[in-house]
Amino acid sequence: MTAASERQFAQVTIGEALGPFEITIGKPLVRRYAAACGMDSGRFRDDGEARAEGLPGMIVPGNLSLSLLSKLVTDWIGSGGGHLKRIGTTYRSMVLPEHRLTLHGFVTHVDSDSRAVEIDVWIENDDGERLVIGTASVEFPTTA
Amino acid sequence: MAVDRSLIGKVFEATAPMAVSAESIIEFCRTMEEHNPRYGKSGANGEIVAPPSFAVTFRNTDAFFRFTPQLGRGFDAGKEVEFFVPIRAGDEISLTSIVRDIYEKTGRTGTMTFVILRSTLTNQRGETVAHVDHRFVHRNPAAKENPAETE
Repeated sequence: MTAASERQFAQVTIGEALGPFEITIGKPLVRRYAAACGMDSGRFRDDGEARAEGLPGMIVPGNLSLSLLSKLVTDWIGSGGGHLKRIGTTYRSMVLPEHRLTLHGFVTHVDSDSRAVEIDVWIENDDGERLVIGTASVEFPTTA
Repeated sequence: MAVDRSLIGKVFEATAPMAVSAESIIEFCRTMEEHNPRYGKSGANGEIVAPPSFAVTFRNTDAFFRFTPQLGRGFDAGKEVEFFVPIRAGDEISLTSIVRDIYEKTGRTGTMTFVILRSTLTNQRGETVAHVDHRFVHRNPAAKENPAETE
């Protein structure tokens, strides 16, 4: 994922796709993210500690999934004046590290009056299962 | 599991202001491999601006579960974040959290308790930075499968 230069509101169309971007969330990234966020739970640090909690091993924090989907949207917005106004996520299944995942987005609504855009976002595994689903709202200024 | 709905609206934690260091934003950006020039070192006007999702790193929801031990820790079922003002290095963020809702849902795997906690982030200028609604799910003993199946 890389940030586009600058997305203009006039460019946005319903049905436009964000991504897909493949990503494998490694255990080092999980540990680093948890540390950066002050999340000290063992389930984000060590397979043994996670198993002691009844989990299959280390899991990816929901916050990291939210951050990845937020970045999918802010990369799509780029460096222009549009901004991420809201994001909501639902964690449907555990996201495990070291598995290949794909980040997706899809523009579902464009409001010319308010210059607002609604986007469905999700994280999918190789079986096509949507592990994390969500929606995001983006607003563009009148000058953008 | 009885749901104590009298907790709804209760402010269970209000933190003292927490200083946002440039290093914490930069480390977050590095971790996320953030290359958008709006965030990190190259923010507008030379400021160091955090990406929006940095807001979810401010948490005090554990305090709620300390005085509701009967619920256990549960699982993070989802979040809803509304962003108002960007977080910048040098900001001091205060966090106030309330119980927004508590309810039970019964699905194929049994009855579960959902707790919605709203954290409001405010900066040193009194501006609301973000609302973060945390949705936690607590499995009752009979519920064994993925809790989110009922959502």
